[in-house]
Amino acid sequence: MFDPYYLQQLAIGLSLGMTYALMAIGFTLIFGVLNVVNFAHGEIYTLGAFAGLVLISATAPPIVAVILGALAIGALAGFSLERLAFKPFRRFTDEASLKSRAMRESTLLSSLAVSIVVREALEIVFGSQMRSIPFEYLINTPVRVGPVILVTGDFIIFGVAAAMLIGLQYLLTRTRVGLAIRAVSNNPLGAKYVGIDTDRTIITTFVVGSMMGAAAGILMGLYYGAVFPAMGFTPGIKAFVAMVMGGLSSIPGAVICALILGISESMATTFVSSGWSDMVAYGFLILTLIFFPNGLFGARRERV
Amino acid sequence: MNAFETVAPAGHAGRRRGWLVPALILLLVFAALPALLAGFDRGYFYQIANLALIFVLLSASMHLVTGVAGLLHLGHAAFYGVGAYTAALLTSKLGLGFTVTLPLSGLVAALVAFLVALPTMRLVSIYFAVATLAIGQMLYLVMLNWVDFTKGPNGIIVTRGFELFGFSLSGRIATYYTVAAVVTLSVVAISRLSHSYYGNALRSIREDDQCADAMGVRTVRLKMEAFTLSAFFAGVAGSLWAHMTGYISPGDFKFSESILILAMVVVGGLGSLPGAIIGALLLILLPEGLRGLGDFRNIMVGLVMFLSILLLPKGLLGEVSALRLVRRQLGAAWRHTGDGERKGEGIGWR
Repeated sequence: MFDPYYLQQLAIGLSLGMTYALMAIGFTLIFGVLNVVNFAHGEIYTLGAFAGLVLISATAPPIVAVILGALAIGALAGFSLERLAFKPFRRFTDEASLKSRAMRESTLLSSLAVSIVVREALEIVFGSQMRSIPFEYLINTPVRVGPVILVTGDFIIFGVAAAMLIGLQYLLTRTRVGLAIRAVSNNPLGAKYVGIDTDRTIITTFVVGSMMGAAAGILMGLYYGAVFPAMGFTPGIKAFVAMVMGGLSSIPGAVICALILGISESMATTFVSSGWSDMVAYGFLILTLIFFPNGLFGARRERV
Repeated sequence: MNAFETVAPAGHAGRRRGWLVPALILLLVFAALPALLAGFDRGYFYQIANLALIFVLLSASMHLVTGVAGLLHLGHAAFYGVGAYTAALLTSKLGLGFTVTLPLSGLVAALVAFLVALPTMRLVSIYFAVATLAIGQMLYLVMLNWVDFTKGPNGIIVTRGFELFGFSLSGRIATYYTVAAVVTLSVVAISRLSHSYYGNALRSIREDDQCADAMGVRTVRLKMEAFTLSAFFAGVAGSLWAHMTGYISPGDFKFSESILILAMVVVGGLGSLPGAIIGALLLILLPEGLRGLGDFRNIMVGLVMFLSILLLPKGLLGEVSALRLVRRQLGAAWRHTGDGERKGEGIGWR
């Protein structure tokens, strides 16, 4: 029969995958609206985790407040990121420069530059070493479910992520804001012509996406109990891989691929040392790009 | 460090003045700087000078693929690492000297680049960037985790410094001259490559690869060649680094190094070789000059990159901006001379 060990790895993989999914949604939303990749998304994750740490060490609030605080910081960070690294490059609104590759790459590089600045600033303020979350906040109290030992964190991550996914679905399909987001990502120029405030919609998208990224950051911080300035890099890459695998603009695709990534990664640690397990994500990425250039769930695109 | 005379489509820029700038730069690199270094005679200054030269070569090799061919390459440091590890392993396991490891490092890096390029070179724009990022990270993981072969995070001590046919060049001045000579030769080679018909074919890929393809330019093959060539020069730089410092570890070749090299090319101006060189010097020497700021050095790199993208979107000496200018002028001319009814629409120029 099944070794309970594998079920346990599966649960860890699902938690991991859920946080990747939260981040991947941020990537996907922003890519959908602006057609650019936000390289500073990993730093939003880090900022969320650090916001939680500061809140915990300052006032020791209940865990719900910690998560809400991280969400608020995430929203703020998303707003300022958009203003700093993306807005200045939308000066030109004619169609040619909207399509221009140089414009797209300059925002890619500017978000990269902002991410360097944020990471280094965090290193100056908090030091580059790992900072541990106080013990009573760790969400790793064991819970026995049949033959498997889970931790409370698995349930909390799953619950928060599911709540945010449902909330996102509601936002996107049932509200005017969501309608505007979908309109802009479908056709920015057309959305502008019918009177949608594209600028405000883009900000909203950044805020929503960054809140999800920050939530992933604080949840993972509480789960592993360690927070450090470079922590956002690896999950950022993984979430990016999930987005590409899911087909760049498909949210369900990104979520499913993030779960696949999380599970295969935690399963891989059974067979190889944990150092090599990152290889899984990169291998998936290369294979997807070669064999399914449109992503596993994406719509057809003209060129890849 | 030289051959500025061939900047872009110079053509009529004057043959008379052509030799002056390179001669001055050669004089600076091979006479003035060593004299200055010898005057101060501090190992630290030699170290900085060598480091700056190595990054000039890295930036120049990245210029070939990112600046000229317009491919966003996010894994360049990994090929630099492949070169350095080749040199270090050949030296420590087989006892080979610098004269053998230098070309071999370049060739091994180029071979690895060629192999990874085979399946991925058909990708365009952001997909290409992502693929190079993944390739770079995979190579980094191999350096970090294949402990039996690469000694993992402990790194490798390189026992032999520079030498030429058994003649040791490991003194401070000799090391500097070796690095300077190799870097200068490589930069001249890159300059000749990028300012030739070959370079123009690469530029056509940057401007519009579909159009270039339709005109009969073999885009996939050219992209692969540019990628492999740039990996070759990165491997050469890696070999220089390994023999110069005598110790390498995976930390020297991680993603942030790729970004640093990319920042050099971007700050200097995409598509301009002098720009790439100045960008490298700026981003290596500026943090050293700002040592007084202590921890703020690395933030400066990010800030310089951000501000240069914001304020000088085409970099210090970008040739793309020049092209855009010409295009805008021509576009306007085209429009005004168009036939009456279609005035203002513009044909072909976007």
